Amino acid sequence: MRSLWRWIVSSSVFLSITSVHANGWNMPRGVTDVSGEIYGLHMTIFWICVVIGAVVFGAMFYSLFRYRHSKGAKSANFHEHTTVEIFWTTIPLLILVGMAVPATATLTKMYDASEADLDVMIIGQQWRWRYEYLGEEVAFTSNMSTPRAQISGEEGFGEHYLREVDEPLVLPINRKVRFLMTSDDVIHSWWVPELAVKQDTIPGFINENWVNINEPGIYRGQCAELCGIDHAFMPIVVHAMEEAEFDAWMVERKEAMKQEALGVDREWEMQELMARGETVFESICAACHQSEGQGAPPAFPALAGNARLIEDREWHIQTVINGVSGTAMPAFRNTLNPVELASVVTYTRNAWGNDTGDSVQPADIARRLAQ
Amino acid sequence: MWGLIKSVLAAFLGVQKEEQRRKDFSASSPWGFIITAVILAIIFVVGLAGLAIWVAR
Repeated sequence: MRSLWRWIVSSSVFLSITSVHANGWNMPRGVTDVSGEIYGLHMTIFWICVVIGAVVFGAMFYSLFRYRHSKGAKSANFHEHTTVEIFWTTIPLLILVGMAVPATATLTKMYDASEADLDVMIIGQQWRWRYEYLGEEVAFTSNMSTPRAQISGEEGFGEHYLREVDEPLVLPINRKVRFLMTSDDVIHSWWVPELAVKQDTIPGFINENWVNINEPGIYRGQCAELCGIDHAFMPIVVHAMEEAEFDAWMVERKEAMKQEALGVDREWEMQELMARGETVFESICAACHQSEGQGAPPAFPALAGNARLIEDREWHIQTVINGVSGTAMPAFRNTLNPVELASVVTYTRNAWGNDTGDSVQPADIARRLAQ
Repeated sequence: MWGLIKSVLAAFLGVQKEEQRRKDFSASSPWGFIITAVILAIIFVVGLAGLAIWVAR
């Protein structure tokens, strides 16, 4: 009997310790001071619950066993015991207040997004994230980069299946970064466990949050609010860099944006537009219209062999720029730049046997956007 | 008056002696308890809000 008890106790202790610290079972400690505090609170409250559980259930099972009917135990018959009642009311009250004090202090810290070194606007879109570095003139859209062939099962899973993007959010370490979070369409939620940020992005509202990352690295997350058919396909990747490395990246990214803007004015060759258009289509459009343009009717119409698309060039351009209200087709005027818009329209007008032979120039799109 | 406050505070905590409960329920009117409870509840809420404001400052 004694060895059985010893076995039960030792295996429970082993299980609780391993499950608490085993990778993936518990919440991560994270890489910010706030995430460390949240982890500390979580573990403190967890152990308080363990002790309460052990005492309450221990007393209950001991009483059940020790004073069982077969041993001749008689139940006591009394109405009240004020001292005991005050005791068991006051103790939980003190425990709750004891937990609330540090929890409130951490909450206050979490909501203090003031005096940030960098502001990043995070915009949720069906089904991608857009990041705008406010005051830096750098903005881009981050799309899932897991190949469609992996999702459909034609290829094996990659290392970061459904948790990889074409362009991660790049942030510096040791600087306070404020996030201003909103959405263009439905409610999404930007969630990166290692940063202890899980914030809804709501159309028409701007929510605030902040991080000050301590360690460089790649941190992955997901949309945490069911937002439509491709909710599972809008992952988040944050690349945290040393400050000097981040500054260099920012200069490089600004230059790339400048070059992209310069490219708007020149005449683009058909092959260039097609190559760029294919990349844009794969990352932005293929989620709904499918890789071969076959679509998924009735919600997502086919583009391959689509008579209206082939015959009405103007309608095609307007649809991509402004979307179609009342349908799942969003407006891409704020998501894609003129080069991307022109190349994806050209691509869809000439791929999969559409063969219209015409192209759309970025300068033409830029004029329409300016109107 | 002190007895009234003690009974209301006991009700706030949720613990009362059966003997005292009987005595309270034999009172001629409940209004003394109601008014005392409303005043104490207001003091409690205002005190809690004041504490929260003071801590968050």
